[in-house]
Amino acid sequence: MPAQPLPDFSTSVRLKYVKLGYQYLVNHFLTLLLIPMIATCVLELVRRGPEELISVYNSLDLDVIHILCSSFVIIFVLTVYYMSRPRPVYLVDYACFKPAPSCRVPFATFMEHTSMICEDPKSVQFQTRILERSGLGEETCLPPANHYIPPNPTMEAARAEAQLVIFSAIDDLIKKTGLQPKHIDILVVNCSLFSPTPSLSAMIVNKYKLRSNIKSFNLSGMGCSAGLLSIDLARDLLQVLPGSNALVISTEIITPNFYKGNRRDMLLPNCLFRMGAAAILLSNRRRDATRAKYRLLHVVRTHKGADDRAYRCVYQEEDSDGHCGISLSKDLMAIAGDALKSNITTIGPLVLPMSEQLLFFFTLVGRKLINPTLRPYIPDFKQAFEHFCIHAGGRAVIDELQKSLQLSAEHVEASRMTLHRFGNTSSSSLWYELNYIESKGRMKRGDRVWQIGFGSGFKCNSAVWKCLRTVKTPVDGPWAECIHRYPVDIPEIVKL
Amino acid sequence: MEFLATLTTLLLLFSLLLICKYYYLKIHSHCYLIDYACFKPASDRQITTQTSGEIIERNKTLGLSEYKFLLKVIVNSGIGEETYGPRNIIEGREDSPTFDDAMLEMDEFLNVSVGDLFAKTKISPSDVDVLVLNISMFSPAPSLTSRIVQRHKMREDVKTYNLSGMGCSASLISVDLVRNIFKSGKKTLALVVTSESISPNWYSGNDKSMMLGNCLFRSGGCVMLLTNNPSMRARAKLSLKCLVRTHIGGNDDAYNCAIQKEDDVGRVGFHLSKGLPKAAVRAFAENLQHLAPKILPYRELALYMYRSIKQLIVKPKDASNSAMARINFKSRVDHFCLHTGGSAVIDAVGRALGLSKYDVEPARMTLHRWGNTSASSLWYVLGYMEAKRRLRKGDRVLMISFGAGFKCNSCLWEVNADLRDADVWEDCIKNYPPQTLVNPYLEKYGWVNEDTEETFNRAQRMESLRR
Repeated sequence: MPAQPLPDFSTSVRLKYVKLGYQYLVNHFLTLLLIPMIATCVLELVRRGPEELISVYNSLDLDVIHILCSSFVIIFVLTVYYMSRPRPVYLVDYACFKPAPSCRVPFATFMEHTSMICEDPKSVQFQTRILERSGLGEETCLPPANHYIPPNPTMEAARAEAQLVIFSAIDDLIKKTGLQPKHIDILVVNCSLFSPTPSLSAMIVNKYKLRSNIKSFNLSGMGCSAGLLSIDLARDLLQVLPGSNALVISTEIITPNFYKGNRRDMLLPNCLFRMGAAAILLSNRRRDATRAKYRLLHVVRTHKGADDRAYRCVYQEEDSDGHCGISLSKDLMAIAGDALKSNITTIGPLVLPMSEQLLFFFTLVGRKLINPTLRPYIPDFKQAFEHFCIHAGGRAVIDELQKSLQLSAEHVEASRMTLHRFGNTSSSSLWYELNYIESKGRMKRGDRVWQIGFGSGFKCNSAVWKCLRTVKTPVDGPWAECIHRYPVDIPEIVKL
Repeated sequence: MEFLATLTTLLLLFSLLLICKYYYLKIHSHCYLIDYACFKPASDRQITTQTSGEIIERNKTLGLSEYKFLLKVIVNSGIGEETYGPRNIIEGREDSPTFDDAMLEMDEFLNVSVGDLFAKTKISPSDVDVLVLNISMFSPAPSLTSRIVQRHKMREDVKTYNLSGMGCSASLISVDLVRNIFKSGKKTLALVVTSESISPNWYSGNDKSMMLGNCLFRSGGCVMLLTNNPSMRARAKLSLKCLVRTHIGGNDDAYNCAIQKEDDVGRVGFHLSKGLPKAAVRAFAENLQHLAPKILPYRELALYMYRSIKQLIVKPKDASNSAMARINFKSRVDHFCLHTGGSAVIDAVGRALGLSKYDVEPARMTLHRWGNTSASSLWYVLGYMEAKRRLRKGDRVLMISFGAGFKCNSCLWEVNADLRDADVWEDCIKNYPPQTLVNPYLEKYGWVNEDTEETFNRAQRMESLRR
C-alpha cells in the first residue's frame, strides 16, 4: 500500500522531462543540426593541412579586380538589404502621472461621499459591495472636481484635470529623456470620454509650443484598449517617416463622467475608474537604439464589433432619468474571453516558439481528422513571454485571464497591484503595470513583455515588447515611494 | 571560379529582388479616391427663415442688441433657406438635448450614407481594412467607428480610428492618416467618414461670440472610399498628389480663437473670437509656404523669388504681403475647394489667392445650399463642381480647410476621368448660381435695424412674425 503513490510521482516526473526535452529539441533544431556540420567541416580542414589550403587558394587565380568586384557586390547587397528592412520602433522611455496624496479617495471618503450624493440607499449599498470586492486599495485618486459634494463636472474642471495629468506626465518624460518639444514629429493622444474642441492634442501643442508641421491625431471614444491602438498608429506613421519620433499620450479624464443615477450596471465605473495618464516616447532613429528601453515587436488588434452582444457590452447611454453613464453588461467576461481567443489566434504564430506551435498544430489536426473530443491545446504563453501586463479593468478580468492563459500569481502580480494602488486608470494602466515590473527589478535585457488591453467596441489589442537594456532599480516613477510595500495580499472581500 | 560567379549572380539576383520590392512599395503608396457620397438629410429637417425666427424667439435671454447681431450675422452669412438642422432643434428641444438626440442625428447620417456608398461602388463592407471617422463634437463609447463595424459586420482585423475634437479641418486629417497607412505598401481599402454633431452643441445663452456657431453650423456629412491598390485606379475618381498640414496651436491667440468653453453663467458653447481672421491668415500663409514648392512649377517659384527680392530692394517695408499675393496658384490648379466657414472666409481666401468669381462660385453656392457643414463642407463643394461638369480628366483640385486649434490643412487632387455624378446636388443644380441674391432674412427681419431700445416691443414683434 505505501508503495502505490510512488509510480504516479515518477511517471509525472518522467513526463516533465520528456516535455522539456521535446521543447529543447524543437526550439534549438537548427543549432543542433548545424553544430555537427560545422564540426565535420573543421575536422576536414584540419585534416587537409595548411599547405593544401594555400594551394587551393592560389588555384583560384584571384586578382585585384575580382576581389574588388566581389567586395563591391557584397557591400551593395548588404546595403540594399539593410535599407529595405522595416524600421524598428523603439520605446525610448515613458512616464506615468503620479497623483498627489491630496487627491486620494480612501474607502471611507468614497462611502461618505456616495451616501451624501446618492438618494437611493440601495445604490449606496450596491456600491459598497462593489468596492469591497473590487481589489482597489485606499490610495487610488480621483480628480479635484470629484471631491466636491456633489461633484462639479464643468468643462473647465475637465480641462484642468486633463492639464494636470497630461502635463505632469509629459514634464516627467522630458526630464527623463531630455526630449526637446520642438523635435516631436508625431503626436497621438487618446482619451475616451472627454473630447473638447480644440482637441487635447491641440492643448499639448499649445502648451509645449510644438512645431507647426506636427502630425497630430486625437483619438476618442475608443475605450480602455485605446493605448495600444495609439501605439499601433504611431508605429504605422514611424514606418513611413524616417528619422522621427512620436509622443503618445494615453489617459482617461474622470471629471465629466460621474454617473448621477441609480442603475446598477452604470454605477460600476464610478467605483472602479480612477485618475491616471501615461506619456510614451517612441522613435525610429538608429541613434536611439542604444538608449531605448524596449523595441516594439508586434501589435495585434481584434475588433469584435460585428457581434451585437459584443458591441453592446460596454455601452454609453442615458438612463430613464436622463443621466448619462456607461453600462457594463453581465456577459462582459465571456465576451472578453472570446475576444482574447481571437487575438491569441493571430498573435500565437508570431510569438510562440516552434515547439508550442507544433503541439497546437498537431492537436488541431488530431481534433479535426482523428478524434473531435480531444481537448484543445492551450499554448503555453509563459514560454513566449517573461512578463504579462493585463489591463487592470477589474478583479474579474484579471482572474479570468489568469485562468485562461494558465498564468501563475507572479505573472499577474503587476496587474493586481496596479489595480490596488491606482485603480482602473483605463488605457494608461498597462504603463503603470510595466513600471511596477521595472521597479521590482524584474526587467532584464532580452525579456519579452505582452501587454493586453480590452475596451469598448468590443476590442482586444495586444502589444509585444522586447527589453533592450536591464532596468536598474530604484526606478523613478509613480511606484517610487511605495514599491517596498508591495506586493500586498488583497483579500477577497474587504469589510467596510 | 564558377563558384564565385554563381555566388555573384545569386547576390545580384537577390539585390534585384529587393529593388523590385522597393518599386512595388512605391507604386502601392499612392492614394486613390474611388468614390464619395455626401449626405442629404430628410426634407423635414430644413431650416427656413420661419424656423430660424422660431428658434431665436424661444431663447428668452436675448434682447434687442442680440437680435441685431444675429440678423447681421445671418444676413451676411450667405446661407440660404434649404440648409438642414438636427431634429431636436427643429422640434423645439434645443435647450435640453439628450444623448439619444445626438445618437439619432448620427444614425440618420451613418445608416444612409455608408450603405449608399457601398451600393454605389459595389464594394463589400468586409473588404474594408481601415476605417477612420472624424466627428468633432460628439464622441460616445463605444466609438462611432464601432457602430459602423457593428452595423456593417466588418472584419475582426479592421483598423479603426475615431478622431474627435479636431475641428472643421478634420476630414483632411483623416485623409492624411489613411495616406500614411497606405505608404506601407500593403494593398489596403479605407473608408473615411466625416461629419459634425450639432444636436448636443446648441448654445442657449446670450454671449455673442458663442451665438455665431448656432447661426452657421448645419447638418451634413460625407463618406468616401480610398485605396492604394493600383488595379482600382481605373475606377477611381481622384488621385491624391500632396497634402500639407499646418498647426499653429503654439501661439496662444491662435489656440484660443476657436474654443469650446463655458460662458459666464456656465453654459457650454463654441467661442469664436475676434482674433480668428488673424489666426486664419497666419495659418494659411504658413500652409501655402509649404504647399507652393510641392505643387507649383519651378518657373513660377523662380518668378516669385525674383519678385520678392526685387520688392525687398525697392520697397523693403511691406514686402511679404503683396509678394504672397503674387503667387499664381491658378497656373497649376484648375479648381479650388474652399472651406465654407462663412462668406467672409471664402472672400478672404479668394482674394489672397487671386481667384475670380467663377473660382469661388462652388464654395459660395455650397454655403448657400448647405450652410457650414464643418469638416464635410469640402466634399459638398467638390460635388458642386462635379454636378456642373467642371471636372475633366487631368484637372487639379486644391482643397483648403481651416479648423479649431488653429489648423490649416490643404491637399491637391488630380482628376482621373471626366466626372459627371451629381449626387446630392442633382435636384437643385439647375437653380445655381441663383439669379437674385436678395437675402430672405433681411426681408423678413429687417425691422430690427429700424427699432431702438425704446421702440422695441418684443411681444408685438414676435406676434407680427407669426402672422
